[in-house]
Amino acid sequence: MRNRTAKIVTIYLLTIFFLLFLNFLLPRLLPGDVILAMYSGYEVTITDELYNELVQLHGLDKPLHEQFFIYLAQLAHGNLGYSYIYHASTTTLIMNALPWTLLLVCTSFILSAIIGMILGVESSWVRGRRSDRSLLVSMLVVDGVPSLAIGILFLTIFGLYGGWFPTSGAMMPYSNLAGIAHIKDILWHLILPLATLTLSQIPGDYLLIRNSMILTIREPYVLTARAKGIKERKIKYFHAARNAILPFFTRIGIRLAYVITGVLFIETIFAYPGLGLLTYNAISNRDLPLLQGILTVSVLLVLLINIIVDLLYKKIDPRVEYAY
Amino acid sequence: MHIRPFREFKRNRIGVTGLVMFLLLSTTAILAPVIAPHDPWDYSDRSFQSPSINHLLGTNDIGYDIFSELLWALRTSVLFGVSVAAIACTIGLILGISAALIGGLYDLVVMRIVDALLAIPSILVLILIAAYFRPSTMILVITLSLIIWQTIARGIRAQTLSLKTKLHIKAARNMGASTAYIMRKHIIPELFPLYAMGFVTKARIAVFMEAGLSFLGIFDPTTKSLGIMMSYAMRYLYLDVWFNWLLPAVLLLSMLIVSLALISYAIEEIFDPRLKEDNAATV
Repeated sequence: MRNRTAKIVTIYLLTIFFLLFLNFLLPRLLPGDVILAMYSGYEVTITDELYNELVQLHGLDKPLHEQFFIYLAQLAHGNLGYSYIYHASTTTLIMNALPWTLLLVCTSFILSAIIGMILGVESSWVRGRRSDRSLLVSMLVVDGVPSLAIGILFLTIFGLYGGWFPTSGAMMPYSNLAGIAHIKDILWHLILPLATLTLSQIPGDYLLIRNSMILTIREPYVLTARAKGIKERKIKYFHAARNAILPFFTRIGIRLAYVITGVLFIETIFAYPGLGLLTYNAISNRDLPLLQGILTVSVLLVLLINIIVDLLYKKIDPRVEYAY
Repeated sequence: MHIRPFREFKRNRIGVTGLVMFLLLSTTAILAPVIAPHDPWDYSDRSFQSPSINHLLGTNDIGYDIFSELLWALRTSVLFGVSVAAIACTIGLILGISAALIGGLYDLVVMRIVDALLAIPSILVLILIAAYFRPSTMILVITLSLIIWQTIARGIRAQTLSLKTKLHIKAARNMGASTAYIMRKHIIPELFPLYAMGFVTKARIAVFMEAGLSFLGIFDPTTKSLGIMMSYAMRYLYLDVWFNWLLPAVLLLSMLIVSLALISYAIEEIFDPRLKEDNAATV
């Protein structure tokens, strides 16, 4: 047990160190002067005064290893840098955008897990029949359509031509709505991006649960339950599905990387003011300090969730302990 | 149990559909320079023309022929996908087999790198590198291959380790077969399903990444790309260009990725005998 925890923690510490080092090294590998290369966003002029200030801040007049310590110290103080395009600190910008992304990611994650699991369990139960095959084929097709394409199609069909849903933003600007009307407005703007993100995740959950159910149904304990005369639905969900959903938890980390990719494109398409749109804006303004800050925060978040899932997995499935 | 992969694949309707779609798309892509009616870099025509005999899908904002542009963009997608998949699979195969056969410290180091790469969301690293250096297509192919080989290496290593202890390998060794002979005749052929599966999965990731990165504007802007076409078409949506400009690009990208998804599901169904239906060949 202790061995397993130690191994997981070491892997993640190594990964974090590697990423921070990459983040530190990349700007210094750019051709030419580091500051001019980093801060040469399209709308920024660098005065001599600002230049000297930045040299001081990053310790660029000191040897490389000291620069790395300065970088780590800044990070430890929660200082991720300053965006000269927004004229705001990166930390503030990220903190303003993060709640919207979390709202989108968490809601879609839960919704798609529930829908995917139910479809997967039901489909595996009638395996080989027409309803199972047609569901499987349609899920495979949806699985193949990239989130980018789903988002664009939803935007043009339901937003622009149907006119049923708003096409950008997370709430009506300057509307001064309060209370229930405000919440309704937020939900109204959430529907299209949320539907896209959820739809893009359902097939993955469905295929995972369906395959895992097919293997579980053959277990002797399912036969026993049946022999005892337990109701079909109870066997399906409380005996078979209870064990079949375990792979879902091991793959949360992989799914998370998938959702992050999706959120980046979906927020860009629907101009939803989360981290994805902030990333897109940072890319198009060539706002490298901001981009670096966003990537540091999102990678740390992903690794944090991964490590929690890894450590908690023993609680969900006690059998893993024997594997180590 | 012995699987005849090609015969099984032929009987799997999902797989055959996917393969036919993929072959059609990639043949079109390879023949793009021959089929395309116009030079996709020729902007001498009037912009925003509606579809006609001369311009099957009309022209775009600067007078490019959209149909020819689509064919060339499809070519970029297919070539990018296939080359990333080939490089990533080769790296994964070499490192996976060697880690399993050599073992010891080397195995440990390789597996730690694999673990670290598994934990990183690869698109973020790729975006960071692409945004900093604005690399050429070639460099992007190599960079992407270098961050997505890990799952292949892990699968190949596990399979090789289990093959090593199998009786027929031991028998071959006892009869005096050399390591090279065993590798060539037993290990590499038996790893084929894993390799095929990895190839298709990685091609799919690469096709998506290419379209995605160019949609965000950090892919080589001189190449034709479905992502670039989509991002430009979206800027002119108010001109009613979506059915002849946006939609074809979106559909083509989706079809390409759907075909790969179908193939990879079929391979999984064939080589995981536990998933196989008792009444085989019903689709």
